Amino acid sequence: MNFERPGDEAGPGGSRLARPRRVRRFGPFRAGQYVLLALVLAVADLPLLWIVLTAFKADQEIVAFPPTIIPEQFTLENFQNLFLISPFGAYLTNSLIVAVTTTALTVVLGMFAAYSLTRFRFRFLRGVGELSLFAYMVPPILVLVPIAQILVGLKLSNNLVALIVLYTATLLPFALWVLRSYFHGITVELEQAAMVDGCTRFGAFIRVVVPQAVPGLISTAVFTFNAAWSEYLFASTLMTTPTSLTLSPGLALLLDQTGVYSWGVLMAGSVIVVVPVVALFIIAQKQLVGGLGAGAVKG
Amino acid sequence: MTAIRKPRSSPFARGLSDRQLAFMLVLPAAILLLVFAVYPFVVAAFDSLFKINLLTRDRSFLGIDNYVHVVTTPAIQQAFVRSVIWTAANVSIQLTIGVAIALLLNAKLRGQTLIRGLVLFPYMVPAVVVALVFRFLFNDLTGLVNVLLLQSGLIEKPISFLSSPATVLWTLIVVNSWKYVPFMVIVILARLQTVPAELYDAAAVDGAGRTLSFRHITLPWIMPVLLVASLLRTIWAAYDFDIPYLLAFGGPLSASTTLPIQIRTLAFGQAQIGLASALAVCVAILLVVAGYLYLRAYRRSEERMA
Repeated sequence: MNFERPGDEAGPGGSRLARPRRVRRFGPFRAGQYVLLALVLAVADLPLLWIVLTAFKADQEIVAFPPTIIPEQFTLENFQNLFLISPFGAYLTNSLIVAVTTTALTVVLGMFAAYSLTRFRFRFLRGVGELSLFAYMVPPILVLVPIAQILVGLKLSNNLVALIVLYTATLLPFALWVLRSYFHGITVELEQAAMVDGCTRFGAFIRVVVPQAVPGLISTAVFTFNAAWSEYLFASTLMTTPTSLTLSPGLALLLDQTGVYSWGVLMAGSVIVVVPVVALFIIAQKQLVGGLGAGAVKG
Repeated sequence: MTAIRKPRSSPFARGLSDRQLAFMLVLPAAILLLVFAVYPFVVAAFDSLFKINLLTRDRSFLGIDNYVHVVTTPAIQQAFVRSVIWTAANVSIQLTIGVAIALLLNAKLRGQTLIRGLVLFPYMVPAVVVALVFRFLFNDLTGLVNVLLLQSGLIEKPISFLSSPATVLWTLIVVNSWKYVPFMVIVILARLQTVPAELYDAAAVDGAGRTLSFRHITLPWIMPVLLVASLLRTIWAAYDFDIPYLLAFGGPLSASTTLPIQIRTLAFGQAQIGLASALAVCVAILLVVAGYLYLRAYRRSEERMA
């Protein structure tokens, strides 16, 4: 029988010997699976390939019928135009400032709070735990109006600080959730040993617990950066002057403004927005695997 | 040289007790959550009882009038129906395709790691970029989808995916599913990898084929995860603003105005803060009810497994 079972190869050690080895045939079912897989990959990734291909095409190739698939004439014109017709450089800088600061704040504050929530048992901490769960469920669209009012009251509209604080607050519940499970998995004995050796509790946390939580910190950071980098709803509502815009509302504005779309320019902008996200993901994937190895095992 | 200190009771270098340290570590996060989640939530609930003039900031008490208005306004009723279609279609499509792709990726084909990364890709793409590329692909004239359909002879006239009220909502559902199916795949795949192989052996001995094994082993095993993932997707889809808004701005002829878009239009387009808040509170209540139903089903499916 050719039935594919999950966990067949990676089954628990020993059980494989007990079972007769099954012969793996390349039957019609297998072939069908590969066809399906090819289809899935095409649907998932061809739109992204199309962004890249279009970004390097001249306009006449883009609007031709039928359009060319591979650029016949490879051009950087779209990227040049992007920075000429819009303050895209400013958007880029703004998004970078907002995303990096938000990530740093969220990871540090989340790390502190998550440590406190997992290691101590005080009544006010239970309250904070429930608070973060509540905040996680509160929909952004519900609080959009009051938040806009708060920020106007604080004279923070059109100020990047507003976005940074707001993003940190909205992304903290997620960070807490991920980091708490990480700290749960780290034994208390190592910290206690460090404290016996003269560390303060805070010192033990920084020197012993944090290094072990690096994979969790990295995945939190990647998620936070991605979310802050891509956020649209708050940024488009709260930031109204061109110089204070971030990438998402900036790019959306470009779509409105160009009227007769220059798809090449819009796709060039898209490439610039996507590249850091993808690069970060690829780098983090390696880091995650490496981070897991460098745990407390050396002790 | 200090002797061994007892970790819990000793005073620390900066004189902090455990209680003080715990409090200080958690304080900044707690303040942020209070200011930017709890306080706005309370304000929204409070605002929903008033008629508010944005310019003069005058407010007059209306009681439940805004809520009556929410239930009786035809435009809001239509947005509600659209939101139900949007959410139900998104969740069921993503669930079905997510399970199918997860099974496929779990089938030990070649090149697994690379394939998983490639399948995950759409989930990482920012909503604005998703909106831009699909506006381009689904464009009436130069869009690649229409070009390919025309050239292959499947259609004779270009389909106006995003510019016709009849098709726009479904086009948005397809695009949204494209972005979020990978989320389902990751979650389901992780669970699939924990199914004990012995179960399938036993089923094979009993002569069960693929379909029976899936129905009686795989499906019950992944059911709790399916329910939790569906709950999350239901909440996120119901509140989803970016992709529908950026692809169609609620139009044409309001045909893609779901509740979140309606809320923002009421609040910022028509300056009806009280009404917008009432609508937002209604949506939140509906989702709490939905969440409760999911969690009940989840508990039952967990019990069945035990």
